Amino acid sequence: MGVASAAPTGGGPRRPGSFRRRDRIIGLLAVLPAFLVVVGFMAFPVAFALYISFTRTNGLTYEWRWFENYIALFNDPIVLQVFLNNITFLISVPLVIFIAVLVSVLLFERVRGWKFFRVIFFLPNVLSVAVIGLMFRNAFGFNGAVNQALGLFGVEPIQFFTNGTTAIAIIILAIVWSGFGIQSLLLLSGLTSINPAVFEAAAIDGAGWWKRLWYITLPNIRRVLGFVFIINVIYTFSALFGFVFVMTAGGPGFDTTTIDYLVYLRAFSATNLGSGAALAVLIFIFIGVLTVIQNRVFALGKED
Amino acid sequence: MAEEDVIISKRISSSWSRWPIFGVLVLVALTIVYPLYFVIISSFRPNADYLQDPFGLPGVWSLENYASLINTYGVGQAFMNSMFVSITSVVCILILASLAGYALAKLPVPGKKQMTAIFVSVMLIPGPVLIIPIYLMLARLGLVNTFAGLILVYIATGLPFATFFLTLSFRGIPDEVIEAARIDGAGFFRIMWSIIVPMGSSGLATLAVLQFLGAWNELIFAFIVVTDPSMRLLTPTLASIGERFLTDQPLVSAGLFITASIPLLLLLFASKYIMQGLQVGVSR
Repeated sequence: MGVASAAPTGGGPRRPGSFRRRDRIIGLLAVLPAFLVVVGFMAFPVAFALYISFTRTNGLTYEWRWFENYIALFNDPIVLQVFLNNITFLISVPLVIFIAVLVSVLLFERVRGWKFFRVIFFLPNVLSVAVIGLMFRNAFGFNGAVNQALGLFGVEPIQFFTNGTTAIAIIILAIVWSGFGIQSLLLLSGLTSINPAVFEAAAIDGAGWWKRLWYITLPNIRRVLGFVFIINVIYTFSALFGFVFVMTAGGPGFDTTTIDYLVYLRAFSATNLGSGAALAVLIFIFIGVLTVIQNRVFALGKED
Repeated sequence: MAEEDVIISKRISSSWSRWPIFGVLVLVALTIVYPLYFVIISSFRPNADYLQDPFGLPGVWSLENYASLINTYGVGQAFMNSMFVSITSVVCILILASLAGYALAKLPVPGKKQMTAIFVSVMLIPGPVLIIPIYLMLARLGLVNTFAGLILVYIATGLPFATFFLTLSFRGIPDEVIEAARIDGAGFFRIMWSIIVPMGSSGLATLAVLQFLGAWNELIFAFIVVTDPSMRLLTPTLASIGERFLTDQPLVSAGLFITASIPLLLLLFASKYIMQGLQVGVSR
């Protein structure tokens, strides 16, 4: 979105040669500090991570070992388990999208106070994952609000976080809670770009509310839906560290460990950083492939 | 955004015939507001009072949770550390990104296309990839356990989006204005300061708020890079308090509210700027 249109085209207006040459130098000097920081601390680290992934290292000495780390990862049962955990976390994707579509369609109706609702739905987005994660851990803790509420009905307190399944369910709940609002606002901006005449024509043809939703509204925002879908999948594979870290620390066992959390575990509690770097590189490749698929799907969407 | 406002505003009917929709939206909004309300109310009561009647209003209102967090667990210091690191990062990002954004938007920079491509593509780098190499680089530079190291990380991770965003918003400034200033003999910094900054102020404000939130809320690098207890930032401090005091919900709630307070204030008073950045902000 917007990325393709971002590339600046052409420079300023034409000026006498000497002026222009001076501008080129000044322009270059102005971009350079930001460019060097980004190359040094974003682009270079990626190359460095790739290098580390081919070595056996403790951070001080590097021993070149070709694909040893990668082969070890593919034979590691923990990596497989953790990957399957990530697949389980994908359950959050349809949930978030379903609620986001519902909310955006409702916001798009003639409702009073929609601007106020917009700010409320945006609220989780300004909070740290540390805050949201701990809030949910608190709510489902032994003394938490949920157990207190169950207690009112005479139910014994439940240890939600000692069981992998319930722990994952609660992390998914936190993902849904923190994600649906912003995504419904994204979808809303997709909805407002539909030509109103389309709705009027449908209404004149006697199409009911549900029919309009199914045959007009949703097909018209399919590109935004596709974008939101891919963003969610990428998020599930690369950005759950915060929630896992504050809610379960990956436990019990490795039941709630995600791939990005495993990178952290391998990096800071194991002796070989190469293994963590190799895992990180695999995440990068995986996400790169997803992004390419996303671009293909969007290109197809544009044609028909 | 403004256009969208008009389109929706036109469609608002004066009648309340749409009350079921309104009702559903209120219910959904409550799922967001109620948990926060619960956290805030709990934070102002002693644990014993909370356990007696968690869902009612406090029998005793007290600030003891806040007092013990600040006096015993170093949350006050962590708050100041987070504030310092976030503000410094944002100021540096704004300066560097304004310079780069102006040049990319208005000056004939050689290799402009390639540089823009790099700024845009590094935005796609997933966070986990950076953890190990950046930590090792900071260690080599002697910047582990310093604020400078962490600020450097925040600047580097914030800059690609910031430059991209400001290039877009500075491009809206008319060339004629800049040209006129030039003819009057204004140099680079003069144009930056008296044309670009004032005319791009709305974009700069949006960016400042977004970047501040990003730095304030960040957890991984804050946890990894700075480990000295007296230099700890707020999010890692909160995480360790949450871990230690599983059974003292009001105490943890107070920590949550302290950490969330600044973002909530920003949302309250700068929602206009935050909403403006929403569309571009998510696309990264």
